[in-house]
Amino acid sequence: MNYLLHLLILLDVYIVVAMSLNVIVGYVGLLTLAHAAYFAIGGYSYALVTLLLGWSFVPAVIAAVLVGVAFSFALSLASWRLKGDFFVLFSLAVQIAIYTVLWNWRKSGVEPGTWENLTNGIDGLNAIAKPLLFGHQFVGLGEIAILFTVIMALVGVISWTMLNSPWGRLLKAVRDDELAARSLGKDVRLIKMQAIGIAAALAGFAGALFASYMAFINPMSFDLNQSIVLLSMIIVGGVGNAFIGPFFGALLLLAIPEALRFVDLPIMVAGEVRLMVYGLLLVVLMRWRPQGIAGSYRME
Amino acid sequence: MVLSTNAPVVMSANGLYKRFGGQVILNNAAFEMRRSEVVLLRGANGAGKTTLLNILTGNLEPDAGTLSLFTAAKEEHFQFPRSWARKLNFLDHFTPERIARRGVSRSWQDIRLFPTHTLRDNVALAIQNQTGESPFAVFYRRRRIREEEAQIAKEADALLVRFGLGGRETSSADMVSLGQSKRVAIARSVLAGAKIMFLDEPLSALDSKGINEVMALLASVVAEHGVTLVIVEHVFNIPRVLDQATTVWTITNGQIKVETPEQVRRQGLPTESDGVRPWLRHLAGTNGRVVERELPGGALLSYAQLPNGSGRAALNVKDLVVRRGRRPVIGRPIGDGREVEGLSFALPDCSIGVLQAPNGWGKTTFLEALSGVIPVDRGTISINGKPIQDLATWDRIANGLGIMQSRDNVFPNLLVDEAIKLAGVAEVPDHIRPFLGRRVAALSGGERQNVAAACALFARTNAVNLLDEPFGMLDAKAIARLQGEILARNGGATLMLLPAASN
Ligand SMILES: Nc1ncnc2c1ncn2[C@@H]1O[C@H](COP(=O)(O)OP(=O)(O)OP(=O)(O)O)[C@@H](O)[C@H]1O
Ligand SMILES: [Mg+2]
Repeated sequence: MNYLLHLLILLDVYIVVAMSLNVIVGYVGLLTLAHAAYFAIGGYSYALVTLLLGWSFVPAVIAAVLVGVAFSFALSLASWRLKGDFFVLFSLAVQIAIYTVLWNWRKSGVEPGTWENLTNGIDGLNAIAKPLLFGHQFVGLGEIAILFTVIMALVGVISWTMLNSPWGRLLKAVRDDELAARSLGKDVRLIKMQAIGIAAALAGFAGALFASYMAFINPMSFDLNQSIVLLSMIIVGGVGNAFIGPFFGALLLLAIPEALRFVDLPIMVAGEVRLMVYGLLLVVLMRWRPQGIAGSYRME
Repeated sequence: MVLSTNAPVVMSANGLYKRFGGQVILNNAAFEMRRSEVVLLRGANGAGKTTLLNILTGNLEPDAGTLSLFTAAKEEHFQFPRSWARKLNFLDHFTPERIARRGVSRSWQDIRLFPTHTLRDNVALAIQNQTGESPFAVFYRRRRIREEEAQIAKEADALLVRFGLGGRETSSADMVSLGQSKRVAIARSVLAGAKIMFLDEPLSALDSKGINEVMALLASVVAEHGVTLVIVEHVFNIPRVLDQATTVWTITNGQIKVETPEQVRRQGLPTESDGVRPWLRHLAGTNGRVVERELPGGALLSYAQLPNGSGRAALNVKDLVVRRGRRPVIGRPIGDGREVEGLSFALPDCSIGVLQAPNGWGKTTFLEALSGVIPVDRGTISINGKPIQDLATWDRIANGLGIMQSRDNVFPNLLVDEAIKLAGVAEVPDHIRPFLGRRVAALSGGERQNVAAACALFARTNAVNLLDEPFGMLDAKAIARLQGEILARNGGATLMLLPAASN
């Protein structure tokens, strides 16, 4: 039971990340490999302000969101000029730069979280504050699961509402034909900035949730592979659809490794088998359902 | 049509100068444009029509000159080259969105609707300054947005109905026919509040019915909204535009020559609306004849047999059925609709033919089926008696099939030299020489079409040449030259696909 609650909590977090990534991939039409980095930015921001400044849950989550937005300018400024493969490469650079900083901003013998040892590298940050709302500290798995599921549903409703508003309509138009949108007098730079900013905010938010639940983070949870898994989630689930695609994508890609646990594979090959199953899933999908399970937009 | 000379000026330019590399395109060009004026903009291929449109819509900065806009309450004056202070001030850039917000709209030859949106949304998107276009507004101005959306949908639907698109409001924009999408594009400009509309070859690829509809709509837009139109068109569509035009601009040597439609008519215009059938009659000469055959779906096949023909069929299509999804596109359902009658026709050796079909008949599908890009459902296609329908595309080419698509027919990122070599053309034709060393993407529409035709015709002599709208985008000189080349390079049969004409 505890194990299932743990999975449910992770699922909630990943659905939020997948929804945020879906905004960039499915609605701005840009493939990014930097999403794990934005997830990390949220997690580390939350951890640092709670650990160092002693902020409580709500302000710390807000801080994580704002830091995410601040970093979003890296991607949105690039999106003004770069398209296709060039944007992908740029996002790869962002991912690697942030990951490298997380990995290397450390000095042994110095207290973690100080200027000299900000991230504590591979050893990560410990004892991060658990969620706290209305004076209630969420510690048990059950209550965290309920809290996160409610939050996930709320985020789903909010992002669905935004993406189905006239703003979402405009966003899709910009994705489909930027020049035509500009020629109708639309400010495409502004709208890309808004969309990527919102996506980064959501990723930061999910990162904060993740850190608050795990109480421990290190860079391993946010590497390039993680970015690729996140992308796989929304490609499998289907992009350009506010909620259902990310939901099924996250569900499937979380469920597979867990299901494999019950197959008694030797430790050495388990990881490889998981990757093979992901690969197979993508190939099968490309062949029979290129738009993903619930997608409404097909990437070229 | 006559224009009153005291109508207010909506746009004017002076001393426009633009060069690409060493090539001067616009040299001290100037004009004045008035409310409700309908301008036909013409000029040889590469004269600078598209360049001028790009400049006047904020897509390209001229090297020198001034441009003034009087369409909005606040006049706008642009001086080129832009000063450093202006370049640094990002609120004062010369951009398409800024010009568009002043009531200047533009349409493209390839239309560019938003493909994943419905027709209603395509039109609704054009409305400026919608409350709901800010991401969070839906949370704190729900009521207002809901009312605004209802209002916008009403306006959009009313406009679609007026444009003959009633009942199609919720169709996806990538599912409607060419003529319909052109009308949606015009509706979009109207709702965007356009005071000036620039239209780059709005009639191209339309059949005569579509041309009538689009021209009638444009006339009503001018009459009702006082819009100024600038229409770029070529040879055979020029008479159609002249019927409505008040002014003709001709670009020659980088300057804009302004004339009245009467002056232009006196210089002589093509009387035929497609230019191909008179040519066929001419080819057939005194002793030959033009064979005409009606095909199902309102298509017309006509060909001229040249002397020395053996009478054998060079291209023979028998009982061809091609489907897109479930729907048969080539081939007609008969009886209760379960049986499908395939398309059959033959084109003899030593002949030049044209297949004229209305929009939506399936010309592109037909071409793709013949070239092997999409599979055929039933039937045979043979070249000189050899069936090719089961061969891969390259094997069909090896068996003597030559194909030229109507667009995307050249690789834009290659140099012209590379494109010519890739096609296997041994000796570069004279009229292509000036383009050597330049990138295909940097050629004008007509110049690109010339390169594509050279690649298709000069590489080798094919048993059957299929040319999809070969004369599109070409000026009179280029059309005459291409006709000569087609004749000279005709190894067996040539079939051209064209939109249906009225005569
Ligand atoms: N980006 C570019 N770089 C270099 N040369 C260019 C570029 N764009 C256009 N040109 C050249 O400028 C000239 C004018 O091109 P433009 O497209 O304005 O012609 P056009 O009048 O529209 O011709 P067409 O009837 O063929 O469409 C052509 O010779 C073209 O090769
Ligand atoms: Mg042009």
